[in-house]
Amino acid sequence: MSVIDVRNLGKTYRTIEKEGGVKGAIKALFRPQYREKVAVHDLNFQIDAGEIVGYIGVNGAGKSTTIKMLTGILYPTTGAVTVLGHDPQRERVANARNIGVVFGQRSQLWWDLALIESLNLVANIYEVEPSRYKQLLSHFSEVLELDEILKTPIRSMSLGQKMRAELAAAFIHEPKIVYLDEPTIGLDVMVKQRIREFIKDYNQTHNTTVMLTTHDLGDIEQLCSRVIIIDAGSKVYDGPLHAIKQQFGKYRTITFETNQPITNVQLPPACEQLSLSEYSLELKFDRSQLSASQVATALMQQIDVADFTLNEPDLESIIKHLYQNPTAYNEVAVNE
Amino acid sequence: MNKLAYRLRIYRSVVGMNIKEMLAYNLWFWSQLGAHLFLTIVYVSFWKALYSERETIAGLTMQQTLTYIILARMIAPLVQWGYTQEFGYWIREGTISSELLRPVDFQERIFIGHLTRTFVALAQQLLVTGSFAVLVFDIRLPTDPLIWLSFLISLLLGCSILFCFDWIFGCVAFYSTEVWGLQVVRGSILMLFSGVLLPLTMLPSGLQTLAQWMPFAQSVSIPVSLLSGITPLDQLGSIWLQQLAWLAVMLMLSRLMFNFSVRKITVQGG
Amino acid sequence: MLRYSKIYWYFVVQRFKILMEYRLNFFIGSISTVLFQGASIIAMWAVLRQVPSIQGWTLEQILLIYGLLTLSKGINHLFADNLWVIGRDYIRPGQFDRFLVRPINPLFHLLADRICHDAIGDFIVGFGLVGYAMVKLQLPITLASISFIILMVISGGIIFIALNLITAATAFWIMDSIPVTNLVFSTNEFAQYPLTFYHRSVGILLTWLLPYGFASYYPASYLLGHSIGWMAWLAPLIALVSITIAYRFWVFGLKHYGSTGS
Repeated sequence: MSVIDVRNLGKTYRTIEKEGGVKGAIKALFRPQYREKVAVHDLNFQIDAGEIVGYIGVNGAGKSTTIKMLTGILYPTTGAVTVLGHDPQRERVANARNIGVVFGQRSQLWWDLALIESLNLVANIYEVEPSRYKQLLSHFSEVLELDEILKTPIRSMSLGQKMRAELAAAFIHEPKIVYLDEPTIGLDVMVKQRIREFIKDYNQTHNTTVMLTTHDLGDIEQLCSRVIIIDAGSKVYDGPLHAIKQQFGKYRTITFETNQPITNVQLPPACEQLSLSEYSLELKFDRSQLSASQVATALMQQIDVADFTLNEPDLESIIKHLYQNPTAYNEVAVNE
Repeated sequence: MNKLAYRLRIYRSVVGMNIKEMLAYNLWFWSQLGAHLFLTIVYVSFWKALYSERETIAGLTMQQTLTYIILARMIAPLVQWGYTQEFGYWIREGTISSELLRPVDFQERIFIGHLTRTFVALAQQLLVTGSFAVLVFDIRLPTDPLIWLSFLISLLLGCSILFCFDWIFGCVAFYSTEVWGLQVVRGSILMLFSGVLLPLTMLPSGLQTLAQWMPFAQSVSIPVSLLSGITPLDQLGSIWLQQLAWLAVMLMLSRLMFNFSVRKITVQGG
Repeated sequence: MLRYSKIYWYFVVQRFKILMEYRLNFFIGSISTVLFQGASIIAMWAVLRQVPSIQGWTLEQILLIYGLLTLSKGINHLFADNLWVIGRDYIRPGQFDRFLVRPINPLFHLLADRICHDAIGDFIVGFGLVGYAMVKLQLPITLASISFIILMVISGGIIFIALNLITAATAFWIMDSIPVTNLVFSTNEFAQYPLTFYHRSVGILLTWLLPYGFASYYPASYLLGHSIGWMAWLAPLIALVSITIAYRFWVFGLKHYGSTGS
């Protein structure tokens, strides 16, 4: 059963074009010139309970706009969003009870208050039952290692401490859906790992739905079973993580090292030379037409191979390739 | 000679920058001006009501008092808030150490910038509030250029004295975390004893004496009394002498205080 | 309602804790407000001691007006000071969004987020002046007069909040609303003296358009026994109408924010 239902969602910003000076300001007041910018265009997807979905794309692709519409901050221009049966804008309060939000670079907590006071306030706002609150607090303290910072005001926390605090505040009312906007940005490896484990653990024990935007593919690889890629406001990929590799990463590379200088090599079909130096040869081949052993066999008959390495395309390079070559999206059918 | 030209070039750019900065906040400017105009109307109405009871108060006629009040109101925003907050900011953010490395004396540069802003604001005030006062309140401003000239010189001296006071105040204030509160305290004292609210001769004699021993009257009461005709021009010599004496003392104190504070900062490595 | 008062109480307690952490700041904050008002009052006294009255108003009577205005202003200062900075401190840095993802009214959240204790200074000055004037003028201090004053001060406070709410909501369009608030708010200075001191148009402005007059001049006139008829009792109605209009405008602004997002 889907908990988030997005249909034909679109958002167009209309900004008034201003000329400088008093004259321009007056002109803008009486005869405004509008400029339209499409931020999100005809977006469709459903997310089921318990899924962890990575929502990725380059800066300005429309990620934040989508999240803002899902959380009820922004009104859509076209289409509709339904979150657990609620319209997030019209039933803002009802929707807010079901969701938790972390905006990576903006604090949800009170600058001057000690973390425990902030959490108390949040618990009050969401009407968390006191005994349940106590239970959750001790659980979070353990998993997120909050004990040392419970009495610290947010203003004097390090980035990693702040993010752990934010997560505790976002989960303390046991939301059914959590939106995480860049939850690991700027953090060191250890903290990143702890946060990922926390999210994963919480998702498994509570069947909480998580939607996460990130630029860190480590987050995606470790957490997300499903990825939605958005580019220029439109969805360009929606499917399981491993399918990205299969669909976009159809080329593998193989590198041969030799003891004698390489001369005159005859390449098998569907195979392409990437680089050649005296003792090393790098080839690229289409995995759907050739296997690695076929390539290796063909080459070993011609040159004296001392060693060879086979490279699977990693997610990072695939995504980078996709971001840089928008036409590459057309190479696969979008998984609907 | 070359050095002087170099300095003048720098001053010109400081002046230009400050004017640009002021004009950039359009909405702010109009809002402040409007609020200021409202308050001027409040004051003028109050004094008019007061003079409906009597011909003169403390020896001043309505025309004299109203002229004084309106001019004092125009100068008030120039002196009311000072620059203590900026001062605290320079010190806390550590910009002061890089400021001190520049070739032109720090205090001098800030002074030029401050003075520019003060006089640009004065010009704006004279243009808007001044013309409003002349048209609506029937205030007669002096036409004798000599009076205007002596007013401007006296105001320049007064603003310099206040600048030095604020410099000392800033050096003290940055030890406190509550700069805003201290600034309100400064503003309150200044409001009463500078002559922004009323001609100082209307205060009871005890408060008048107190006002004489504070530097604030030099920047508002003295120049405005000249322009509004309360003080006759033949006292000009003694007035300027008095202002110069104040300036010399305050300038010396401000340099001493600043050097002391800077040493303290550098020692603390702040 | 109960839920909201409980949450509000929590905010108050937290504020108090912060305050205790910075006791010196609190002290300076309150003292500075008192001093600032004190300077104006001393000046007024210095002038008025030279004449018996202005247009029939004595110093004590004017202080009563001034005191009532200060109390109303204090209510606004205490509960709604955050309206001043909504653009600068919340909308511009993106902090306003967090109010919209929480299950409570965003306006309530904004106001509760910073209760301004500096207002204590206003209350000290206001109570002092009203008390002094009442005693000096030998006005009856009875349950009826005290209830009247409380009702009028609360109405006046709501009028202040309403006008600031309208100007604060402009932040949804222009971001930096402080100059707008500053301009409208500054007109309350007219209400520190009897409205009869001014040109007729100022009286009309301060009664019907920016009704600060109901926070000071009208209730003071009633207490002093001037015959102003039903105008003495209009303040609560005016307060209700203003706050309704202001809230409507706020909601309208919030809708606009929802379609632009910044």
